[in-house]
Amino acid sequence: MAVSVAAWSPAGARSNWLRAVWHYLPIAIVLLVWQLAVDLDLVDRAFLPSFGATLRALWEMTVNGEIAVNLLVSIYRALGGLAIGSAVGVAIGLAMATSRRADEFFGPLVATTYSLPKTSLVPLFLLWFGIGDVTNMLAVLLACLLPVIVSTYHGVKAVPAVIVWSARAMGTSHRLILWRILLPSASLSIFTGIRIALGFCFVVTISAEMIAAKTGIGKLIFLYGENGAYAYMFGGLLALVIVAYAADRALLAVMNYALRWHDSIHAAHGDG
Amino acid sequence: MAERVAAAHGPIAAVWAGVRYSYPLVLVLVAWELVARAGLIRPLFLPTVTAVFEQFWALLLEGEIVAPLMVSLYRAFAGLALAVAFGVIAGLLMARSKWVHWALDPLISIAFPAPKIAFVPIFILWFGIDHLSKILLVAFTCVFPMIVATYHGAVAVSRTVIWSAEAMGTPERKLLFRIIFPAAQPYIFSGVRVTMPVALIIAFTAEMIAGGGGVGSALMFAQRFFQTPTVFVYILVMLATGLVLDSVMLRLRRRLIPWDDETA
Repeated sequence: MAVSVAAWSPAGARSNWLRAVWHYLPIAIVLLVWQLAVDLDLVDRAFLPSFGATLRALWEMTVNGEIAVNLLVSIYRALGGLAIGSAVGVAIGLAMATSRRADEFFGPLVATTYSLPKTSLVPLFLLWFGIGDVTNMLAVLLACLLPVIVSTYHGVKAVPAVIVWSARAMGTSHRLILWRILLPSASLSIFTGIRIALGFCFVVTISAEMIAAKTGIGKLIFLYGENGAYAYMFGGLLALVIVAYAADRALLAVMNYALRWHDSIHAAHGDG
Repeated sequence: MAERVAAAHGPIAAVWAGVRYSYPLVLVLVAWELVARAGLIRPLFLPTVTAVFEQFWALLLEGEIVAPLMVSLYRAFAGLALAVAFGVIAGLLMARSKWVHWALDPLISIAFPAPKIAFVPIFILWFGIDHLSKILLVAFTCVFPMIVATYHGAVAVSRTVIWSAEAMGTPERKLLFRIIFPAAQPYIFSGVRVTMPVALIIAFTAEMIAGGGGVGSALMFAQRFFQTPTVFVYILVMLATGLVLDSVMLRLRRRLIPWDDETA
């Protein structure tokens, strides 16, 4: 999350390119300090491999395909669970916001299960479905479901009643009101919920993989940690951090594009 | 959702509203009990509700609920306290100093979406498998949302208020502690309320992955030995803990920041 895209830069840094370098300079400094601290033996190499060693390990794992195979498995689980969870979440949230009976049924269930750590269900799913994609995706699905339900509910509830009444007065069908009015108006709120869920889906996938799995980037990191191959552990972690960052940025870009007609998209830009 | 219960007048109406409100939960429990009793699913996979509650009572008497819960809560709250302390300081400094803002902004934008739970093996390597690694992992996860919440609160303070204080010669330190910090408190509190469940989740999950005591490792232990009722008991304990803490936070908010209208 960019707190705000920093407008502040030295007077000379006018061009975009220089501004980008200036903006990301702190990251380069941190990496440099990391490398120097190891090179100058300020920290024990056994506890912290150098940045260079981490990069070499990551490169080696990329070339031999270890990263790609495990990362793809994890992304499949995370985004698969996110997609199903979001679709079901929007449907339930919409039903709750438009029907009193649905609200009375799902409301208490959502309120009670919201604070349950969804990773706690992994042992139960392990018992039911064994080790594998089903256990993992089901936990991800449930974790993604709730924030999407809640944000859809609030988004649809916030649609001014006058608009719905006007549409109805002009003879707009129930289905058309749903697709042309309620969902578009609530879309910013729904996207915000999906963005929260995107964070959850990676956390739950990795947790479930570390608890019990045969494949996945979480398992890979954990295995290298257990075997004491720390450069490889850091390398896997680095790949994961990059992917999670890219996924977050990609969702933001999609959101900004899909909602470019929305007034508040510019206000909500970059954070939320 | 929950407002309907609070809106009811009189004790009888309140009880009735409570019963009406919780009917879906009762429905789920009854369906669970019936399915389990009918023998459709083996008790190993789905024990009856009554068996789960019997097991809960037995574990409670043996002290197998309270002791691990205390361990988990200690880790979650110690980590959260560290995160709040560092997060508030860093957030305030970011709002007041462009240098701190420049240094932290890109780091936060990378660290925020990263799944911090993946750092478990590193924290084990650095800090062992006992309390310290879990507390620090909780702190590491919670500090970023706390920085962002504090920063937003501090930036939202009206410029005129700050200018007036500066015009009257208020030194920067006093400005920070007497004006900006109190004004940012509702944001900080919202941040704590949002991060507290995260602290619990990370403490529980880290215990599930790495062991070392607490409700999370008790849960994994029960699963490994196929003690399904115990698995359900610990899941329900986690659920109840989250619910209780959230309602405590709501009450605290009304008590501590009564001047702020926003209760969400």
